[in-house]
Amino acid sequence: MLLIHCPYCDETLPELEFTYAGEAHIDRPENPSEQSDAEWESFLFLRENVKGPHFERWRHFHGCGRYFNAVRNTITDKFYITYKAGEARPDLSALLEDEK
Amino acid sequence: MSIAISSLTPSTIAETSAAKVVSLPMQGRLSLRARDGLDKLGAALGLSLPQKIGQCARADGIEAVCLGPDEWTLLLPLDQVATVTEALAALMPELPHALTDISGREVTFRIEGTRAAELLTIGCARDLSGVAPGEARRTLFDVATVVLWHDGENAFRMDVWNSFAPFIAQTLEVGCKELAAEAA
Amino acid sequence: MSKFRLRGKGRVDASQPVVFTFDGKPYTGVKGDTVASALLSHGVHLMGRSFKYHRPRGAIAAGSEEPNALIGTRRGPGRFEPNTRATVQEIWNGLDASSQNKFPSLKFDVGAVNDAAYMLFSAGFYYKTFMWPRSFWDKVYEPFIRAAAGLGVSPTEEDPDTYASRNLHCDLLIVGAGPTGIAAAREAAGKGLSVVLVDENPEMGGTLLSEPQAHINGKAAWDWLADELAALKEAGVKLMTRTTAIGYYHQNLIGMVEKLTDHLAELPADTPRERMWRVRAKQVLLAQGALEKPLVFHGNDRPGVMLAGSAQTYLNRYGVKVGDSPMVITSHDSAWYAAFDLHDAGARVQAIVDTRASVRENLQAEARNRGIPVKLNHTVTATGGRLRVNNVRINPMDGSRVGHGQWIKCDCLLMSGGWTPSLHLFSHTKGKLTWDDDMTTFLPDQTPEDCVIAGASRGLWGLEAALEDGSAKAREVLAALGTEAEISEYTVANDRPGTGVTMRELPTDRSAGKAKAFVDYQNDVTAKDLRLAVREGMRSIEHVKRYTTNGMATDQGKMSNINGLNIAADALGKRQPEVGLTTFRPPYTPTTFGAFAGYHRGDHFEVTRKTQIDSWAEARGAVFEPVGQWRRARYFPQAGEDMDAAVTRECAATRKSVGIFDASTLGKIEVVGPDAAEFVNRMYTNPFLKLAPGKCRYGLLLGDDGFIRDDGVIARVGEDRFHVTTTTGGAARVLTMMEDYLQTEWPDLNVWLTSTTEQYSTIALNGPNAAKLLQPFVKDFALTEENFPHMSCVDVEVAGYPARLWRVSFTGEIGFEINVAAPHGRDLWEKLWEAGQPYDITPYGTETMHVLRAEKGYIIVGQDTDGTVTPHDAGMSWAVGKKKADFVGMRGLARPDLTDPNRKQLVGLISEDKSKLEEGAQIVFDPKQPIPMTMRGHVTSSYDQGTTGQPIALALVEGGHAKMGETVYIPMEDRTIAAKITGTVFLDPENTRLKI
Repeated sequence: MLLIHCPYCDETLPELEFTYAGEAHIDRPENPSEQSDAEWESFLFLRENVKGPHFERWRHFHGCGRYFNAVRNTITDKFYITYKAGEARPDLSALLEDEK
Repeated sequence: MSIAISSLTPSTIAETSAAKVVSLPMQGRLSLRARDGLDKLGAALGLSLPQKIGQCARADGIEAVCLGPDEWTLLLPLDQVATVTEALAALMPELPHALTDISGREVTFRIEGTRAAELLTIGCARDLSGVAPGEARRTLFDVATVVLWHDGENAFRMDVWNSFAPFIAQTLEVGCKELAAEAA
Repeated sequence: MSKFRLRGKGRVDASQPVVFTFDGKPYTGVKGDTVASALLSHGVHLMGRSFKYHRPRGAIAAGSEEPNALIGTRRGPGRFEPNTRATVQEIWNGLDASSQNKFPSLKFDVGAVNDAAYMLFSAGFYYKTFMWPRSFWDKVYEPFIRAAAGLGVSPTEEDPDTYASRNLHCDLLIVGAGPTGIAAAREAAGKGLSVVLVDENPEMGGTLLSEPQAHINGKAAWDWLADELAALKEAGVKLMTRTTAIGYYHQNLIGMVEKLTDHLAELPADTPRERMWRVRAKQVLLAQGALEKPLVFHGNDRPGVMLAGSAQTYLNRYGVKVGDSPMVITSHDSAWYAAFDLHDAGARVQAIVDTRASVRENLQAEARNRGIPVKLNHTVTATGGRLRVNNVRINPMDGSRVGHGQWIKCDCLLMSGGWTPSLHLFSHTKGKLTWDDDMTTFLPDQTPEDCVIAGASRGLWGLEAALEDGSAKAREVLAALGTEAEISEYTVANDRPGTGVTMRELPTDRSAGKAKAFVDYQNDVTAKDLRLAVREGMRSIEHVKRYTTNGMATDQGKMSNINGLNIAADALGKRQPEVGLTTFRPPYTPTTFGAFAGYHRGDHFEVTRKTQIDSWAEARGAVFEPVGQWRRARYFPQAGEDMDAAVTRECAATRKSVGIFDASTLGKIEVVGPDAAEFVNRMYTNPFLKLAPGKCRYGLLLGDDGFIRDDGVIARVGEDRFHVTTTTGGAARVLTMMEDYLQTEWPDLNVWLTSTTEQYSTIALNGPNAAKLLQPFVKDFALTEENFPHMSCVDVEVAGYPARLWRVSFTGEIGFEINVAAPHGRDLWEKLWEAGQPYDITPYGTETMHVLRAEKGYIIVGQDTDGTVTPHDAGMSWAVGKKKADFVGMRGLARPDLTDPNRKQLVGLISEDKSKLEEGAQIVFDPKQPIPMTMRGHVTSSYDQGTTGQPIALALVEGGHAKMGETVYIPMEDRTIAAKITGTVFLDPENTRLKI
């Protein structure tokens, strides 16, 4: 069971308090009706499913209730960083550099 | 098990040498949501709204806990609910916020005794030593989302939604007995 | 005193006899004995039969790694457990133990015919044998395999014991309380850290318990041990015995199972049998020691053949001599000491046979001094004896040549193939292992966890090395925790460090193909099986493992993995690291389901959510059904009624006068803020911006894919306040979905969501007399058509309680829903019940609710929809706002597939023979087509008869909306039912009954 740092509570807590919420940084288009079928398909269904560092969403469901973003390595399950919803996507190469 | 638990009829859930668990009578409970204007909201309530998640503030008759970046739960006497509701409503629409009455939603258990903190470890995965006396947290206890108040050494309160209360009470009761037997 | 018990030896308490039975026969052991040590004290080695060949087997080890001596234990009704290791189970007065896999008796077992049919049961036997003919599988093969498979017998009664769980957070967890773990704990103790030391045995000390001859820092080993443990306790270290660390999970979460009562004669009150500890440690130090490897030779499984180190343990810890005339076969120094200890305890050691050509001179000298014959450069090629070894065939070796054999009599054979570091938990961390050619074993390398491994589990040997490493590694851990420690020094006298070589199968002068040389005792896998697997094309150790089942038994290959790997690598002509080691998986030792379930069993298995009115329904004899986590009253049968009769009566009473229904489980969400209307308008398909306060509107919730997710009535209770209802099962899901859109797509909206599902008890009154019944309770508000039309809401006092009163209907009748603070629901219900008597008020349950709504064609999300149904499919295009710029699912609805006119659409069905259709039954257009038929839809809801006088059904049918009046067919097992497609509204299409 993972320990996850909630960027809102600023506490590192058991995974049991959290729920997973899929890939991060997929914005619902401003005006969906203007989307082509292919664009809408991509928004709805197509995901990266990366092996390695993955931008993903979690929710502190049993705590503050907030959705937030994380970069987690899907091989090792290691979290590189968690950050608040709406914050810019962190620079992955810098994160990986920090690890070394 | 079919124990009925209601905030209308407070009762003792369990009492052993390890800990005592009682359900408390119904009280006023309001959920306050806002992003800005915390000073004004606090002023209307007569206290300073805490801004760090888990921190509490108290003024006469009212207790506030910050549960999320824009969320507080206010505890107050039932007969104060209308007054507070009106006071905050007066701030609308200039100060957007949301106030919802949840006085009937939950049952509160008081858990105290020499091994109260240990009793909580049977259902709580988080390290409770991180919750200082005087603070509170929303967390998971057994199968239910709860708000856990650390009132003082060996003293806690746990707010549980009505329909989860009998199950949680049963877990606490078994735990009280188990801890007492362990000490024997 | 039993024959093989030695006075004054061991740590057992000879003054406290304990009587237990084994296969019905009483035996007397002493306090501190295991079943195995007690039986051995009576000279009983035969303890079980093997799994596949039913070969007689005895205890081969003295600890939790034991593969052979599996027993069933019984403690009165319900308390039976199979596959308990006799080497672990402590005895208590009255323990009823029995052997396994035998019929009719342990000494004479007809299943042993499998042993004679050995050639049939070789590796891959099942795969090769049970393939053809296909039709044999169900009738012949599977029953045979099921009957033959499985260790022991499953318990048949419900387990009356209780189980517990607890979370624990600490700075340092030390797994294993042998010399390494104790030395480590000593470094960490008294430094203000929370330290936990855990051991699976009843007593701490590990190897020290078997090595009383040693002196540590001038103290006798056992005195030193007692002093150290007392000091640790004094310093606040949490000492946990009978507790097994079964698994190591992410970020230093260790699962540990504590056994609390299995060793007790009397079960204490309120004490669980086992407790699962979930320990989150900042640092973990693994000191699990090493496990001795068996040697692989023909007949190495005969009772009386035992690991040398285990014999030493039985002698020194339990005071039990495993035989009078032991013989030793070894490739490692350690077994020599077992021979010396047994000799010194009065046994006549027949010989020490060592496969090595040269052995340390001081060992040979000690053997000579004791007069023990030594045979260097010898092999063992066979053992003899039926139920107990009575002689052993040894042969000299000369290079690769094996000389003539010579039989030597003995009553037990102690073997040692060296020692394997216990890396199970380390492997759970995804720790890397590195192959050590010199030691011919894997050693721990890097781990991603905050974990160090010390002592014998990283290949060190001898007490002094273990103590010093425990101390040194603890200092590493303490540094990581920001604490320093002094260097502790250890001097050990009479230490027994040693070396050895690793053997594959021992060389033999006989046909290797006929050898029954066991590698995995529990699964009856021989060296020959492993080589056969390689010959048949298995290349990876993972394939060899699955083909032969080597290492797949409940002992998880503790003894067999490295021997298996060495043999497979040899067969493949590769180095061991190229063949690889199979993955160790949790749990370390077999673990009961109870330990995992903890408190969650029986009536506490999972939460059953009940409303405040539930107890009234229970007292009225309601039949309940689960809906999500809730239980809801399904119907209220009167004497002699079945469900259909009760439902027909409840339906009629509601349509005739008034029915009362507990709707409290409906999900409720309070949506509050200046942007509340905008938010609800974006979430739901229907237009909400212009809904006036005091009005209700039905809302349909889609996913962005365009499919129906949920529905409910939504009331605008104020300018900036909505009271949204959801389905019972959808409450949490809908709130989560709303929070997701609000927090991450539209964070600019000034609106907040609060779950109020449990804030309210919701009572529904439906029927022509509903208004008449309710009116007297409502303060200063007229329940007239003009003042309070259908789909209105108002905040009023009802029976003195502040209430949200709604005029809504899910039945087609005049309907009200009264929401009061939850705790008052029961009182209000009883008041309405009382006042409703003159109206023949009838409580109804969910089944009647389903019928009444189906008669009106109201859908139930999740029953008439399945996540692939659009509003149009459901015949609810009317609910979709045509002028809205956007709502969740709007773009999705325009996807080409979702506008296809031939989609499955919701229709009504009336069967021609007036029979009730089966929910879920498939629908075809042409009943005469050949099988398999083309299925064109299915029945989603079906009811016997409500108030329309005939069974009705709802169904999803391809292009159904354009097929009104057409006949479709429902093929059933015994007949095909024809049914006519109709509209979905079966009653009062003009809604005249809704009017007051």
